[in-house]
Amino acid sequence: MMAANNYFGFTHGGTQYGAATASAAYGGQTGYAVAPAATAATYGTQRAAATGYDTAYQAAAATQAAAHAHAHAAVAAASAYDASKSAYYQQAAAAYPTAAPPQPQPTYDASAAKPAYSTPASYAQGTYSQGAAQRGAAAAKPAYGAVYSATTATASYPTQAYTATPAQTQKQIGRMVLPTRTGSALSTAKTTNRGNTAYDTALYNAASMYVAQQSKAAPGTGWKNYKTPGTGQPRRAKPPPKAQQLHYCDVCRISCAGPQTYKEHLEGQKHKKKEAAVKLAAAGGGASAAGGARGAAGGALRCELCDVTCTGADAYAAHVRGIKHQKVVKLHTMLGKPIPSTEPTKVGGAKKKVAGAPKIAFVSSGGLRTVATDPASPSAPSTAPSTAHSTPHSPPDKEKDEEKEDDDAEPEVQPVGQDYIEEIRADDGKALSFNCKLCDCKFNDPNAKEMHMKGRRHRLQYKKKVQPDLEVKVKPSMHQRKLAEAKAQRMMVRDELWARRRMHDVYGQGIEEDERMYWEGGIEPWWRGPHHHHHHHGMGMGYGRRPETSDDRHVLTKHAEIYPGDAQLQHIHRAVAHTERALKSLSDALADSARQKTVPAKTKVDDKKDDKADGKEDGRDNQLFSFLAEGEQAGSTSTAGDAPRALKGVMRVGLLAKGLLLKGDRDVQLVVLCHDRPTVTLLKRVAADLPHHLAKVKGPGDEPKYKVELLPAEGAVQVSDAHVGVLVSLTSAVVREPADGGDIKRDDKDVLPRQKCLDALAALRHAKWFQARAATLQSCVIIIRILRDLCRRIPNWTPLNSYAMELLTAGVVQSAGAALSPGEALRRLMEAVAGGLLLEHGPGLRDPCEKELVDALGNMPPQKREDLTASAQQFLRQIAFRQIHKVLDMEPLPKAKHATGAWKFPRKRRRSNTDNEHDAPNGEGKIVKTEEKSDCSDTNKK
Amino acid sequence: MVRGIGRGGRGIPGRGGMGRPPFNRPRVLMLRPPFDLLLAEPAFPRCKPAPDDSVLTQALLKRHTELCPSPTDQAAVLSLVTKLQTVLDNIVVAPGEFAACQLEEVRQVGSYKKGTMMAGKNVADIVVIMKTLPTKEAVEGLSNKVNEEVNKLMKAEGSGAVVSACHERGFTVTGTSAAVRVLITTLHQNLRKIEPDVHLDYKVISSHLAAIRHSRWFEENAHHSSIKVLIRLLRDMCSRHSGLEPLTPWMIDLLAHHCIMNNPQRQALPINVAFRRALSLMAGGLFLPGCAGLPDPCEAAHSRAHTALDLAAQDLAAATAQTLLRVVARGGHLYVLGLQPFEGGKDISLEITVWDGVVVSPLAPAYNDSPEPMDTDDKEEESQDSVAA
Repeated sequence: MMAANNYFGFTHGGTQYGAATASAAYGGQTGYAVAPAATAATYGTQRAAATGYDTAYQAAAATQAAAHAHAHAAVAAASAYDASKSAYYQQAAAAYPTAAPPQPQPTYDASAAKPAYSTPASYAQGTYSQGAAQRGAAAAKPAYGAVYSATTATASYPTQAYTATPAQTQKQIGRMVLPTRTGSALSTAKTTNRGNTAYDTALYNAASMYVAQQSKAAPGTGWKNYKTPGTGQPRRAKPPPKAQQLHYCDVCRISCAGPQTYKEHLEGQKHKKKEAAVKLAAAGGGASAAGGARGAAGGALRCELCDVTCTGADAYAAHVRGIKHQKVVKLHTMLGKPIPSTEPTKVGGAKKKVAGAPKIAFVSSGGLRTVATDPASPSAPSTAPSTAHSTPHSPPDKEKDEEKEDDDAEPEVQPVGQDYIEEIRADDGKALSFNCKLCDCKFNDPNAKEMHMKGRRHRLQYKKKVQPDLEVKVKPSMHQRKLAEAKAQRMMVRDELWARRRMHDVYGQGIEEDERMYWEGGIEPWWRGPHHHHHHHGMGMGYGRRPETSDDRHVLTKHAEIYPGDAQLQHIHRAVAHTERALKSLSDALADSARQKTVPAKTKVDDKKDDKADGKEDGRDNQLFSFLAEGEQAGSTSTAGDAPRALKGVMRVGLLAKGLLLKGDRDVQLVVLCHDRPTVTLLKRVAADLPHHLAKVKGPGDEPKYKVELLPAEGAVQVSDAHVGVLVSLTSAVVREPADGGDIKRDDKDVLPRQKCLDALAALRHAKWFQARAATLQSCVIIIRILRDLCRRIPNWTPLNSYAMELLTAGVVQSAGAALSPGEALRRLMEAVAGGLLLEHGPGLRDPCEKELVDALGNMPPQKREDLTASAQQFLRQIAFRQIHKVLDMEPLPKAKHATGAWKFPRKRRRSNTDNEHDAPNGEGKIVKTEEKSDCSDTNKK
Repeated sequence: MVRGIGRGGRGIPGRGGMGRPPFNRPRVLMLRPPFDLLLAEPAFPRCKPAPDDSVLTQALLKRHTELCPSPTDQAAVLSLVTKLQTVLDNIVVAPGEFAACQLEEVRQVGSYKKGTMMAGKNVADIVVIMKTLPTKEAVEGLSNKVNEEVNKLMKAEGSGAVVSACHERGFTVTGTSAAVRVLITTLHQNLRKIEPDVHLDYKVISSHLAAIRHSRWFEENAHHSSIKVLIRLLRDMCSRHSGLEPLTPWMIDLLAHHCIMNNPQRQALPINVAFRRALSLMAGGLFLPGCAGLPDPCEAAHSRAHTALDLAAQDLAAATAQTLLRVVARGGHLYVLGLQPFEGGKDISLEITVWDGVVVSPLAPAYNDSPEPMDTDDKEEESQDSVAA
């Protein structure tokens, strides 16, 4: 019942019929006594429509004066009418102007029982109010009869019953006839109907009110007064005499307790809705007497009795069992009305073949039909039934409009999603209620559950949540469809977004984003662009390709911390330079004294001068500082039989040569190459003479007081001042020659310890290797400095000797295959050690400065290797988890804020300072620089 | 540089209507691969005789034979898988009145498919792709249907019955000596329709789809038997050490493949070398944040296999591998491989051990959950800047 109502309410609700208008018309009716003004007003609202009616009518009248008399034409006309419906609006315009009012009046009067409803002319002139008043008073009786007949007739003609007023009839005739002629003006009639409906309703209302009031007064008349005109309905039986006691609404098929309730019912929403629906159905023409067709879904079943269409067998069964149906049955039994079999009527047999269904459904004879009770006018009764019949019989399929059209997709909708309905059972196992998990709703009734499972809402949920390809009928209007599409679009975008985000989560992209920010640094590389490049120019580390990461900043900060200060470097370089020059002077002196025995030493002075002019005053380029004079070739010395120089040259080795000095380092190393095996005698001579030469070199009034110590066990001389200690080792290439055989001079007592000499030689080679290989690698020197600091701080790292460390770092950095930033290089180094590179089964660190395979770290005991590896492993994970400051033993740096101006400002300032010596030191090139300066000052002083 | 160029796309803001700020646009994460001794060979030429690894090799092979499932086990799994495949194929082809779900495709995945099944784990995996959405009820319905059908087959054959039990990944059909996990997933286009409380979990479903890709990749790339041997050994090792347990089979597959095949010669490495390499790589932070790790060949570009682990698990896995590496270096491979139980089944990666006087101790985790508050003060900016110069 409800469903049927809703259904109609939904599909038609006000679009075609204008239910609101109708209710407005009702609203005007306050009492049974129809206030003329009110009616007039109501009518006024319908004016435009009424005009349409008029014109149509007039048109009809004008063109075919006697048309209305030929009611029989209607049947034939109906089809033509339908065909022409689409042309409705255009034709209406055409039909409008043609107005010839006077003609129809006589006929109208003849057929109509109501004199009040006189002529279209008066109609048009707004004289209706009188007519209404008149009707209310005078035409009471016929009206009553008409109403009654109509209501009883409705059982099978729900739509037509009310509709055929005489006027309607008139109209219909006009309508039916028109198309046969023009096929055009007819459509106007439709508008007419709409206008008329309100009027009809009002009339009907008034009439029914009257009935309610007068039922006592005129009990029998109604029944005698009329014969149902076009019944063809055998089951239309005489109602029991006490029917008048019952206030029975035929539309809603309910009885009311009293006139008051009946009245209220008639004014009620429900009734109006129902009525509207009924009229609409009639308009659709789907209501056939035989089929009771209210086209619903193809599989729809219809309860004739209650006038309820059910969507399926289950629904029908439920309905028949339902209390409402039972009530109606009871009522009808009481009323003695025929009760149709409970067998459902199939609704809507054949599918329609509507060609170009019009937007607006045609509403036929929407009004209340006052069945002509006057037997004297035979035309009217014959007309009424014919119209009543004509509509359903005229190709009904065509008449079915779009609202019917979508109703029939699947003949039998399979219930879906049985699995998603859980039964809530009582303790005794009896199903109490059902819960649909998909739609999140509950039912107490198994039938309701069944129906729900076939329902669209459920199916939509099922489609959404279970089976995406399930077909669900959609029948929204164009507008709704558009809205739905837009919504779906939005949903899709949102889903997509959401799915993508979730996808990201799934594959850890969330972490990754974060990680990226950290490992790639905050800045976008193009941001820094050229500045960056400029900055690192000349420092041998053009890693400007990448922005700095947090690790890089930490490493660089730490590096700046451990890098020796300028003062310290100056001290060191001064001391070394002095020592070197003193050694050269000493060497010259030795050579002179040696030469005096063989050759006159005249050339010597020139040599020295040349040497000076050469510009090389000490070993500041970290290459061998040869003591040999210009013409004094190393080869020539031996061939000439000259006594060769005992001291051939001096070279910086170790930290100094490699530029690995750290803050606090004060010991540097020089190696003096001797021509022959260095002996203790020679060493003593050097130690004795050096102070003198030192004093000579540094000039008289100079600050540093050099102290020279003899360290025979080391095979070296230590030159030291307050800040620096310079260890001068003596060695010779000869020492490396095979030590077997008697070749070795047995003056072992005098010769310096062999191992020390070899070490010094190796130090020479290491320095050379370093300059050739390691110093050129990006970040390598920085990392070695950092590692040296690590070795100083952490006992586990101490066993790593510096040469091994250099080899390791160089190898690690070099094997990366690409330039590494300092942070990356440090991490990679940790990775290598953590991965067991230094453990026993590893390949070892091959010493590139030895011909044989020598492990630079061969002497490291297992426990140390173990501890070193473990420490590196811990460090690696700390670096990975953003705790590099723990590894470097420093405070964590704040996050870089690159985007702000704060970043740019200091840089600018710094660039203006680039030639300032106080630049942060970064590479070994720096040492040369500062050295130059100190040298300059030195030479100036000289 | 590359990113700078890719950045040219900035001119199309909010492409696809996503409205994402261009800054968060997914970029390629440029990370370095970790130090890999095998690839760094030229920089670290061997300067001492290679250790005699025959002991390790033999131990590895011995352990592998222990880990291989017996022929009877394999047969049991095979028969159950075949039955299930038949049943599921039938449902795909002719669902009949079975309406709980519609199946698109059935595929075997996982260790059974890859041939890396372990002894004692007679569980095969089958992924079922549903055309419909994988609701829990659909899974249940399928489970019941499969159970019924398989039991019919079993009855016809005269062998014992099977039991089917649902879980959050699908359901498991358990026979007397074997089990098959039926993993439920759905079509790719259905993924975004998944709702958390109605359907199976999104992650589970997509992981099942990924499983299909994985087995396909494996078939094409990792069929070498050395890889399978190494996979078994690593999986066994990981299962016995708590820190390594979070490693997914897929990560182990990728790691094994990398260790065996990724070398300059592109020839399969001997198993002992590969095993050491695997440990060394893990200890060297292959699966740590900030490392390129192993690119996942079955996911969208540049996704890394190890991001499936959370950070704590990554830390723990690396720490465990680091300890194990040192244990193996001291000759403790018997314990690591599980050929000998360590002190009554203790986890050797968590104990302090002494080998010939060398103490090997486990490492503390480095990851802490609450990162120290980054103070955004600019004060130190300058000093830092001067260093950066």
